[in-house]
Amino acid sequence: MFITFALITLLGAVAMLLQKNVIVAGLCMVATFFGVAGLFVLLANPVAAALQLIVYSGAIMVLVLFVIMMLSSHEEEAALSSRPIQKWVSLALVAALALGSVRLVMASPGLKALGVRGVAVPGAMTLQQVGTALFADHLLGFEVAGLLLLAAMIGAVALTKRNL
Amino acid sequence: MTGVDAILQGGLQGYLVVALLLFSIGLATVLLRRTLLMQFMGVELMLNAANVALLAFARFRGGDVQAMVFYLFIIAVAACEAAIGLALVIGLYRHRGTTDSDRAAGLKQ
Repeated sequence: MFITFALITLLGAVAMLLQKNVIVAGLCMVATFFGVAGLFVLLANPVAAALQLIVYSGAIMVLVLFVIMMLSSHEEEAALSSRPIQKWVSLALVAALALGSVRLVMASPGLKALGVRGVAVPGAMTLQQVGTALFADHLLGFEVAGLLLLAAMIGAVALTKRNL
Repeated sequence: MTGVDAILQGGLQGYLVVALLLFSIGLATVLLRRTLLMQFMGVELMLNAANVALLAFARFRGGDVQAMVFYLFIIAVAACEAAIGLALVIGLYRHRGTTDSDRAAGLKQ
């Protein structure tokens, strides 16, 4: 199960990276978000999986696809100047970062021990647990997050409106 | 469950490897693609990779609830970032008729 969802996630992401058409790339991104939601279910966290589907696949990607269709710039524009050296240097840096960090994770004895100890864990995360933690211990942060969302909403309207 | 077995069966290291690869692909998208909307999707991918690592650690440390609170705040910030970022892209397109980050290199028109 794990390898299935991991492959959906990674293949969707790679397809997004290589896709020329921006709309198709956005749909590949939705596949990636579904894969990540599956990984969250396997992590015994259905609350996070539901939030992932509602917020990312539902809200954010629909917003992105709306903007892509509104701007009618579906294909990448021709490059102003061709500098292949930049492309190769950034590819080499990203590959080095990925390989190095994966090697570090695989070699770490602490992570190995945590993975062995953490196998026997209690049942799935429930919405009640999350709600209790959120409203009992982090009420102020919750209110600030609401204020931040309001500010972002007003900012987005102000930025896109032609004459305020 | 260690080594390659951990990756195939879904141990902690498997989730972390998926998160790292996802982050790298997102970073490659931001560096290699020039369309601002694609770069924006790359940033979302990197945020998601961080979420996968966070929730994997939470699970393997005994189902920690605090991580879920963190996750909720990360999602709230990501939603704000999406709204403001897309508004800026629309504003840029109105002024210059492009969504190419190379063509938007200067502040002056």
